[in-house]
Amino acid sequence: MDKYGIVLAVLGAILAALLAGIGSAKGVGMVGEAAAGVVAEDPSKFSKVLILQLLPGTQGLYGLLTAVLLLSQIGLLKGELISLSLTQGLQYFIACLPIAVVGYFSACYQARTAVAGVGIVAKKPEQSGKAISMAAMVETYAILALLVSILAINGLK
Amino acid sequence: MAKLLMKKIEIVALLSDRKKIMERLQRREIVEFSDCKDEALVKLNTSATVSQFEKHIVVALQAKDILNEYAPAEKSFLSSLNGRREMDKNDFGKFVEARDIYLKDCYDIINCKKIISDNKASIIRTQTLKDALAIWTDLDIPMQYKGTKNTKCFIGVIPGKKTSEDIILAIAARNPNLEMLYVDVVSAFKEQTCIVVMCHNEIADETNEVIRHMGFILPSDPTKQEPKEKMQIYDNDIIKYNDEISQNVEKIKSYANKNEELEFFADYLEMRKDKYIALNKIGHTKNTFIINGYIPEKYADKCVNELEERFNVAISLMDPDENDDVPVLLKNNGFSAPVESITEMYALPGKNDIDPSSVMSFFYYMFFGIMLSDAGYGLIMVLGTAFVLKKFNIEGPMKKTLKMFLYSGISTVFWGAMFGSWFGDIVPIICEQFLHVKAPDMALWFEPIKDPIKFLLAAFGFGIIHLFVGLGVNFTMIWKSGKKLDAILSVAPVYIFVLGAAPLCAAVLVGIPTIVTQIGGYMALGGAALIVLTSGRTTKNIFARFGLGLYGLYGVASGYLSDVLSYSRLLALGLATGSIAGVVNLMGSMPSNLIFKGILLTIVFIIGHPLNMAINLLGAYVHTNRLQFVEFFSKFYEGGGRNFNPLKLNTKFIKFKEND
Repeated sequence: MDKYGIVLAVLGAILAALLAGIGSAKGVGMVGEAAAGVVAEDPSKFSKVLILQLLPGTQGLYGLLTAVLLLSQIGLLKGELISLSLTQGLQYFIACLPIAVVGYFSACYQARTAVAGVGIVAKKPEQSGKAISMAAMVETYAILALLVSILAINGLK
Repeated sequence: MAKLLMKKIEIVALLSDRKKIMERLQRREIVEFSDCKDEALVKLNTSATVSQFEKHIVVALQAKDILNEYAPAEKSFLSSLNGRREMDKNDFGKFVEARDIYLKDCYDIINCKKIISDNKASIIRTQTLKDALAIWTDLDIPMQYKGTKNTKCFIGVIPGKKTSEDIILAIAARNPNLEMLYVDVVSAFKEQTCIVVMCHNEIADETNEVIRHMGFILPSDPTKQEPKEKMQIYDNDIIKYNDEISQNVEKIKSYANKNEELEFFADYLEMRKDKYIALNKIGHTKNTFIINGYIPEKYADKCVNELEERFNVAISLMDPDENDDVPVLLKNNGFSAPVESITEMYALPGKNDIDPSSVMSFFYYMFFGIMLSDAGYGLIMVLGTAFVLKKFNIEGPMKKTLKMFLYSGISTVFWGAMFGSWFGDIVPIICEQFLHVKAPDMALWFEPIKDPIKFLLAAFGFGIIHLFVGLGVNFTMIWKSGKKLDAILSVAPVYIFVLGAAPLCAAVLVGIPTIVTQIGGYMALGGAALIVLTSGRTTKNIFARFGLGLYGLYGVASGYLSDVLSYSRLLALGLATGSIAGVVNLMGSMPSNLIFKGILLTIVFIIGHPLNMAINLLGAYVHTNRLQFVEFFSKFYEGGGRNFNPLKLNTKFIKFKEND
């Protein structure tokens, strides 16, 4: 039974990278589509819309960060797996859920705010700072989720 | 420092000096013109002239673009960073005299371009005709040939692939007298067959009927000449068009050395345009004119002296009153000026605001450094921006932005060294895996990945300091406006409450001595009580006061909790840079063979680290901005000011050497 502990822990890490990554990919893609429309009209706005496009990309990084942290803690990265009981594995798995789930949704919703922000840049490029701020608000919750995941993983050491 | 004090200025002078005064003000770039509201004064309507200038600007820029297309000036990518080139005033005079020639040149260039595009279109058209004719090249009579006195000739196409026998057989079925018939297939394809049918007049009608039945149609563009001859004509036409194109390309290239003149011309027109727009705003009497506007107090005396020395003018300076829409110009020292653009991105300071740039700058660089937190990346930023700033003549907002990244880079090096991250963990990897020695302890302070809780608490600590400084600015602003009691009451309880609550919250994560938490508890309680008692001080009703007080406590507690938690992004972004850099290094050092490992590590290093740096640079920039805009500015800053927009030399390519 004990070997399932490590499976669950790795599954958690994979899920964090997977869901947050998918959310970011989706988000960056969505904003990219909107941004391309603006650049087609006015190529000089490229740098402004690029910032907006990359905003939903950070959730994927947070997922990756959590995964790496967990994998290194259970010794997978150095090839010296520690032994985990089923309960411990389940704890690691649950610790990954905040960033996996919140990361996914926060990336998607941040992308929608950023798409609206692309509209701001198209009409009033001088207001792009505000568009960025609005989109950055959404990320707060991904950061809080990441915080919980990291603290939990760290606490399980 | 900070927001420059503005004065209202009124200049009254003689019409005869108008041109000189306007041009001088335009070169000084310190007076913003306001619209003259006095109805007794006459205003010029310059809109026709302005639109004329606008049209010519378009012409000049278009000509410049065409010139760049055909005779590109040799420029490296980086040299485009260079600012405007300097021009002497005397040279300027010479250029101005030749302005009509430049306009003619511009139209010449545009005209050449038009001829080139027309000819290119003609070539395509001719080529299409030629292609359509190609199937007829074996025909040795004109395609419009209709026959002799006694014969009829049908030249055209029928659908499908047919041989001459097919056609002869079809005609023979109606009229077996084949001596009167001649059929030739010029070319045959799967879709269509080009045929020539000649027959005696006697059987012409029947023949016509038969071949029409087979689907015969006349060619769409029958030639008067033999097709070969016509092809030759087409070829000659194409050569002619090509000649004309190359002639005009040469003609455009002959203007190559005029690039600078065209740039000057575009700038000159832009300057004139701005001047005429400003002219629109001044009021005139019969012999005088009146300029109303704003001038930063700092430059006012110099400007007044300069004008009074040279012209007959009456200048008065006044303080703007409460209702005036005073423009805002920021001026900070070298350390804080680079973040002015961040302030502007949020909003310029409004009437009652101070310029937040100088308070913000220190925290800006600091948070940027903590978020990027890799000394290697910081070093690249510092070297890159310093190189560009040193090597190229950069001006304006671009220069400020580069400086901002330079200072942020220095801070990144500092924090990277504190956290021991130099391109992630590349130093320990090289030490242990290649040199087989024990790696030194890289971190001057501690490694965040080994103790995230410590990092988190530090981040919250920095956050509380940041917020308190913002609150402190608010305090000084209220204090200076004379409401000293208000200042103390709106700030002190919050300080006490937050300071007391901080150790209580920290105790959740780490062990805090009981004595500290006890003091903290009392402080938090006291602070909370003070907030409840003072928040509702504007109302007289005792119950409303208590309610407002409770609501105020709720606002402070939830507001500061979420504000402080928000600083956990310092941890998130700081950890992200280091650990992704670590992943890059890990990927590179997977092979066990040292040579393979060296090669792979080099490749992965060169690709992976710039990517990681780029994405984290963006993250650090965005989230540093957010911490300033949302957490910091909300404590004291409103914004809503209007940018100072003086009459100036709004040029793209040239600037003047100042010699008088």
